[in-house]
Amino acid sequence: MAAPTTPVITEPARPRRALPQPTPESQPFWDACVRRELIVQQCNACGRLWLPPSNRCQHCWSEDVAWTPVSGHASLYSYTVYRRAYAPELVDQLPYVVAVVELDEGPRLITNIVGADPGDVRVGMSLEVVFDDIAEGVTLHAFRPRNRNR
Amino acid sequence: MMYRRSAAIVGAAHSRLGEVPQSTSLGLMADAAVAAVADAGLRPSDIDGIIVRGPDDEYCFQQQLGERLGLNAAFATSLDNGGASQTLAVILAALAIEAGLATTVLCGYARNAWTRTRRSGSRQARMNQSTHSRTREWRDSFGYFGEPATHALGAQRHMAMYGTTKEHLGHVAVSLREHATRNPHAQMRSPLTMAEYLDGRPVVDPFGVYDCSLRTDAAGAVIVTDTARARDLPHRPVIVRGFGSHNNLQGWTVDDHMVQTAARASGERAYRIADVSPADIDTAQLYDCFSYMVLAQIEDYGFCQKGEGGEFIAGGALRLDGAIPTNTSGGQLSEGHVEGMLQVVEGVRQLRHEYPAERQVPDAQLALVSGHGGNTVCHTTLILERG
Repeated sequence: MAAPTTPVITEPARPRRALPQPTPESQPFWDACVRRELIVQQCNACGRLWLPPSNRCQHCWSEDVAWTPVSGHASLYSYTVYRRAYAPELVDQLPYVVAVVELDEGPRLITNIVGADPGDVRVGMSLEVVFDDIAEGVTLHAFRPRNRNR
Repeated sequence: MMYRRSAAIVGAAHSRLGEVPQSTSLGLMADAAVAAVADAGLRPSDIDGIIVRGPDDEYCFQQQLGERLGLNAAFATSLDNGGASQTLAVILAALAIEAGLATTVLCGYARNAWTRTRRSGSRQARMNQSTHSRTREWRDSFGYFGEPATHALGAQRHMAMYGTTKEHLGHVAVSLREHATRNPHAQMRSPLTMAEYLDGRPVVDPFGVYDCSLRTDAAGAVIVTDTARARDLPHRPVIVRGFGSHNNLQGWTVDDHMVQTAARASGERAYRIADVSPADIDTAQLYDCFSYMVLAQIEDYGFCQKGEGGEFIAGGALRLDGAIPTNTSGGQLSEGHVEGMLQVVEGVRQLRHEYPAERQVPDAQLALVSGHGGNTVCHTTLILERG
């Protein structure tokens, strides 16, 4: 399993986010986030990796699906910057970055970019996962610029 | 067996458009339907097919319309392809007519988005909702709301890959506004300068308010019948010469779907069925929910190379005297957003040569009309021909 070494970036007074409402298919993903692990699904028949969770392999339709940890390293596929809040808990977080990141292992996912000024965010930049405990037993993933020398 | 090009659009209309206080989507749909039947020179009893769609929370809109207008129908349905549904309605009408399932089909769409927004307060109402009542698992927790952000992700990717700029997107908004200044029905009729565009209130990068389509109360409708019957009707028919569709159902964030949209494969099919090429098209009426989607489709439909849309549009391509006059009513960015239905209506009117010279694409013979939606991966194409 991936080493749970990435630091938590939660600030005590930070407004909470809307909570994910896991399905039976996605519950393991969110449970792993609580453990500070990023996991994706893998097909035991054809070896492909993917997110979001499914009960079958998208490629070969096999039901033999397992979860596997990934490195947490990614590159920025695209992003946008919110400059208005569309939910009350986000007012204090403006401007914030919503992103599509491509994991080094292939799958893409929707997340936030943290630890960077929105003006410094660039498509293609190297990223690493961090985790944010937003409520008891609920942890969101986010990505921050990755210092390759770290 | 290939489509035999035996369907034609013989009537086209829209309802009151813009801010229609206290309107209902069904009431607007009825208004547009009645006007389209009258425009076609037909009687209500001639209609034996209905393909109409309303706001997403309206169940079985075709039944509601039939009840309101006193119509039964041999063939009737609503559609669930989002903004791709309205051009798909015309495609299905043409197929139903060739198959003998119906002879004369009413296609339409209605929304009362402006009235609904006023009633609910929209953004403020959403802000006041409890957090858990609006959660979608892979979006809301990350502060990702709404269609602007989805399309903004595509625009940002395109900018990074091809050097497309905010000013390039601005030329889409400015060009379409110029068209709208000549359209007495348009919601936005005052000219828009590049400076005003760049100064527009930010929404989600790179979009400002002028990159986003309007909130509109309106309906549009067209009547499709066979070309033989069309010859006996008052207007010069507009032939449904060809059509295509493609659906990147695996999603917007997968592969390169957000920079090479489903318009490309849909267009290739449509060109093949219609036996025409991009150079033959005289005017394009594209689904412009956001400025970027015009730029992407101009490339995907082959009016210029992929990645060159920004410079192509900055050179005036979308203007009435440009390489491909586009969204000549002002489109959803400036005329009104009726989920692509008004793009069908505008294509018909341009091919009828209905407009004064200041708004008419000279000698327009072929129009391309697109629909795009359904989580921004469903796409449909019509190629219409002056009959």
